[in-house]
Amino acid sequence: MAKPKNLILSSTVFERVVHWVLAGSCLFLFLTGFGLMFHSLSFMANFFPGGHYIMKLLHNIVGIIFGIAFLFALIAWGKDTLYFDEDDKKWFRVMGGYLWEVEKVPEAGKFNAGQKMFFMVLFLFWFIMMGTGIFMWFPIFPAEITRWLYVLHALGVVVLGGFLVIHFYLGTYGNPGTFQVMGHGYVTKGWAKKHRPKWLRDVEAGRRSV
Amino acid sequence: MNEKVMLIDVSKCTACRGCQVACKQWNRLPAEKTQQRGTHQNPPDLTPATWNLVRFTEIPLREGGVRWLFRKDNCMHCEDAACQRACPVPGCIFKTAEGAVVIDTEKCIGCEYCVNVCPFEIPRFDSATKKVYKCTLCWDRIGNGQIPACAKTCGPGAVTFGPKEKMIAQAYARAKALGGDATVYGDKFVKGTHVMYVLPEKVRMYEKLTINPSVPVSVYLWKDFLKPVSVLAIGAALVGTFFHYIIKGPKRPEEGGE
Ligand code: HEM
Ligand code: SF4
Ligand code: SF4
Ligand code: SF4
Repeated sequence: MAKPKNLILSSTVFERVVHWVLAGSCLFLFLTGFGLMFHSLSFMANFFPGGHYIMKLLHNIVGIIFGIAFLFALIAWGKDTLYFDEDDKKWFRVMGGYLWEVEKVPEAGKFNAGQKMFFMVLFLFWFIMMGTGIFMWFPIFPAEITRWLYVLHALGVVVLGGFLVIHFYLGTYGNPGTFQVMGHGYVTKGWAKKHRPKWLRDVEAGRRSV
Repeated sequence: MNEKVMLIDVSKCTACRGCQVACKQWNRLPAEKTQQRGTHQNPPDLTPATWNLVRFTEIPLREGGVRWLFRKDNCMHCEDAACQRACPVPGCIFKTAEGAVVIDTEKCIGCEYCVNVCPFEIPRFDSATKKVYKCTLCWDRIGNGQIPACAKTCGPGAVTFGPKEKMIAQAYARAKALGGDATVYGDKFVKGTHVMYVLPEKVRMYEKLTINPSVPVSVYLWKDFLKPVSVLAIGAALVGTFFHYIIKGPKRPEEGGE
């Protein structure tokens, strides 16, 4: 897409594609996973020829896709998320101005402290979901161990479920203009000034491209 | 209720393994290749095609020679069945009026949840069919007023089958008559099993017999705690973000805060 006037590029094609693969596979995992966990949602198996068996198999295969997609996410976002600086600590003290009125929210780079924390939690639970999921699929460990993998996998559902709803809200209704970071990639300068002031200065000074 | 119990009086068992054969015959289970391991226990363990196995335990005696302990091993048909709590497919593991816990092989998806939570290590996964198999308490016989094939064939009367209360009373009377270390195994855990033993020796003397079995704690944490909590977490996040929107409102770029 040609660069629209007065807008700036907030994310690369690579970032946006990875984001959609990650989101799509994750949503699929949630839906099929819930279809397995709740008998009341087992009607979901009717959407798959082959019923529960295929639904489970697809859950497993899409789990692998999710797992690989997250590796690309690490490449795309790891360097901007896997650390906290002084501003981030100050950001947490006022909760980024999201919960009460704050005079001045500490400046963020490409990602604010909350987004960084979200990514770190996702990293941890990516590891847990992959580690447990694969050995639930191929249970090579003794029963006494395998039965605890089910518990950990379900714990991941609890944590990721809550986090992803909040992530969705903050990426859409909660922060108007933000969705285009995942859409066509272009945001307004006003948006960038508000949400990524340090990043905007770096981009305008030519210290980084996106 | 029409609950029934299979009582296995180990003290009367002669290890003829007639029950093993009868089980295969009634359920049309194929014979299997096995190996000589220097014991009479054959095959060495339960398999997808062996739902009933007479286990042999050798106890060396101080004065030389050995004593044999025999135990017919098959699904205990728990009243509170961990396998049923864990199974993700509705109706795949079901319970009959008699108390039999049965796997509907048609519905089984081979996830092996049941295999990994059973306190008695009973269900067996068949990697060829990708399904799990175990003893059915001959639900297709007892539903018609017959007794299980293994009980029917048992010559010495070690395997009997009848109404629950009657069998429990019989079990305690027999254990009392045997005296010594003799115990009854089955009615005191997992809300009672529909297969019970009279054991002349202490529980720990028998191969692979679980001491104080129970539904694993992990199953409660998983199915009774984290499962509802996952809905709560997602619900709380939805409600929370909704109220955030209507009370605090979204963060607009056009508002100050450079
Ligand atoms: C965001 C990521 C994921 C979510 C939200 C998710 C969700 C779920 C849920 C809700 C269940 C049902 C659990 C239960 O019955 O208690 C489940 C089961 C399962 N998940 Fe995941 N899952 C995720 C990732 C993965 C990954 C990466 C794998 C790895 C291959 C995986 C493999 C499995 C397996 C093997 C099961 C057991 C049932 C089955 O065999 O299908 N999951 N998942
Ligand atoms: S013994 Fe195991 S397989 Fe049999 S009913 Fe109990 S939990 Fe299920
Ligand atoms: S392996 Fe089959 S019977 Fe066992 S829990 Fe899974 S679906 Fe149910
Ligand atoms: S009750 Fe039926 S299925 Fe179970 S061990 Fe006896 S013969 Fe086999």
